[in-house]
Amino acid sequence: MEQQEEVPPPPAGLGLTAEEYAQVRATVEAHHRYAVGPGQCSSLLAQRIHAPPAAVWAVVRRFDCPQVYKHFIRSCVLRPDPHHDDNGNDLRPGRLREVSVISGLPASTSTERLDLLDDAHRVFGFTITGGEHRLRNYRSVTTVSQLDEICTLVLESYIVDVPDGNTEDDTRLFADTVIRLNLQKLKSVSEANANAAAAAAAPPPPPPAAAE
Amino acid sequence: MRETGATDEGHACEVVVAGGDGKAAAARRRRRLELRRLGLAAEDDAAAKRIRSVKDGSSSDDSSTEVVPRSWPACVSHGSVSVIGRRREMEDAVAIERTFMASTGDGAGAIRGGGEGEEDFFAVYDGHGGSRVAEACRKRMHVVLAEEVSLRRLRGQSASGGDVRWKEAMLASFARMDGEVVGSVAAAAPRVDGTEPSGFRTVGSTAVVAVVGRRRIVVANCGDSRAVLSRGGVALPLSTDHKPDRPDELERVEAAGGRVINWNGYRVLGVLATSRSIGDYYLKPFVSAEPEVRVVERTDKDEFLILASDGLWDVVSNEVACKIARNCLNGRAASMFPESVSGSSAADAAALLAELAVSRGSRDNISVVVVELRRLKSRAA
Repeated sequence: MEQQEEVPPPPAGLGLTAEEYAQVRATVEAHHRYAVGPGQCSSLLAQRIHAPPAAVWAVVRRFDCPQVYKHFIRSCVLRPDPHHDDNGNDLRPGRLREVSVISGLPASTSTERLDLLDDAHRVFGFTITGGEHRLRNYRSVTTVSQLDEICTLVLESYIVDVPDGNTEDDTRLFADTVIRLNLQKLKSVSEANANAAAAAAAPPPPPPAAAE
Repeated sequence: MRETGATDEGHACEVVVAGGDGKAAAARRRRRLELRRLGLAAEDDAAAKRIRSVKDGSSSDDSSTEVVPRSWPACVSHGSVSVIGRRREMEDAVAIERTFMASTGDGAGAIRGGGEGEEDFFAVYDGHGGSRVAEACRKRMHVVLAEEVSLRRLRGQSASGGDVRWKEAMLASFARMDGEVVGSVAAAAPRVDGTEPSGFRTVGSTAVVAVVGRRRIVVANCGDSRAVLSRGGVALPLSTDHKPDRPDELERVEAAGGRVINWNGYRVLGVLATSRSIGDYYLKPFVSAEPEVRVVERTDKDEFLILASDGLWDVVSNEVACKIARNCLNGRAASMFPESVSGSSAADAAALLAELAVSRGSRDNISVVVVELRRLKSRAA
């Protein structure tokens, strides 16, 4: 157990090979490490996507429009920017969004603040600051990394308070379930967008044979 | 409960919801008070005085002339109400299809006698995550069921008997209905705006279906809507809610590899508060679409059937609901509270139950179907 290895194995449950993990290890160290205090828990999830990182990032960075890749959202409204009255849709850190959740879930609204939007390194972070739900002090970071020519790796991590009456396992079960679903949707949306872009760039297919 | 003093003071004054004046508000307030009184009185009665209600129920008023063999008119009357309540969206749906088998051209059953082919179909669907699955069920379930039933009748599996045939048909119909809504997800490619149709994966609906025939009632349930039969003044539930903390459901979910946690109520994976539903592709196989089916032979004590979504059952017990419905159907509620209760039809009973649920603070959509199985009202009333 105390073996000193050159390359430590990837964290269990992440579903990555040692080789893949080595590629994103610096990213994990830089963005997905939390000082987890008592009464808190954290988790890291990964999703491979067969689309260019730019196509994936274009979806992730839309703080104003999370419903594009997240399930369970009925609507999302960006709060007016108090410091800049020129453009209502500029995505700057500090901006707030009001998310309304669909019925049947243990949540109804969520107020969220954009912490980080780094287009150069493709890092996105937000904090939940209010709303009707059970995720207190939830802070999350999403990174988009290139694995190889055809594959992108998305990492999403969070830290959150464990609510009264629940265990860390409960909290992770709930949050991981939602994030895993969202990452799957991100995959299908990004891949569809990339395919559509590729089809548009390619020469048009020959016209179909004349119908009867 | 009988002598409440609010009897005949304002006969001519029908409450019309017109202007927002104080008079209308006062009338609404009184209506709420009366409703509450009706509900409270019913609660007292249900708890302490079951004997009286049994006596009321077995007074076999207008069926006395007929020596009943084992067959009744499928349903005397029916009514339903479906209200949005305090929710922002309406995701409940109700389906009522009289002689629903007729549309399949299944004459064979009727010819064979015994009332086959004359069954009526009633259902309540409580959607979540959107209304599309509930709507799909409303449009399709009775059609699918009619096909599945006639298929089995044509095969003439007399050996298996009617009950088994109905159970099989219900199971097959729920599976097909679930396949149809899941199939429409698979068939559709994700759109660029992402809101549809991949959002469809997280839409689902409970379903409680009752087929009322001349000799038997078949109830199939998937989720936490409920069917309750009033038999001789006693509330007899015909379905058992599929809550994730129900011991056998908890076991089933965990055996399938899922987990149930108390996250603002017991929920599958901390997300969904029912352990069975149509749709909810993203929670399969933990959340199952398989219904539990119950077949009950009708008796001459059967008075009416209530189907409702949890918008009613969360705030009104089976006993109180039956008490209220019976006091409405037998005309007593209308004579006690002529301003609040307009009549004694099944529709009036359904409306009364929905209003009671609202007045008791139900925050959900509320759907109620009342099926009158025999007349409770004396002709004079």
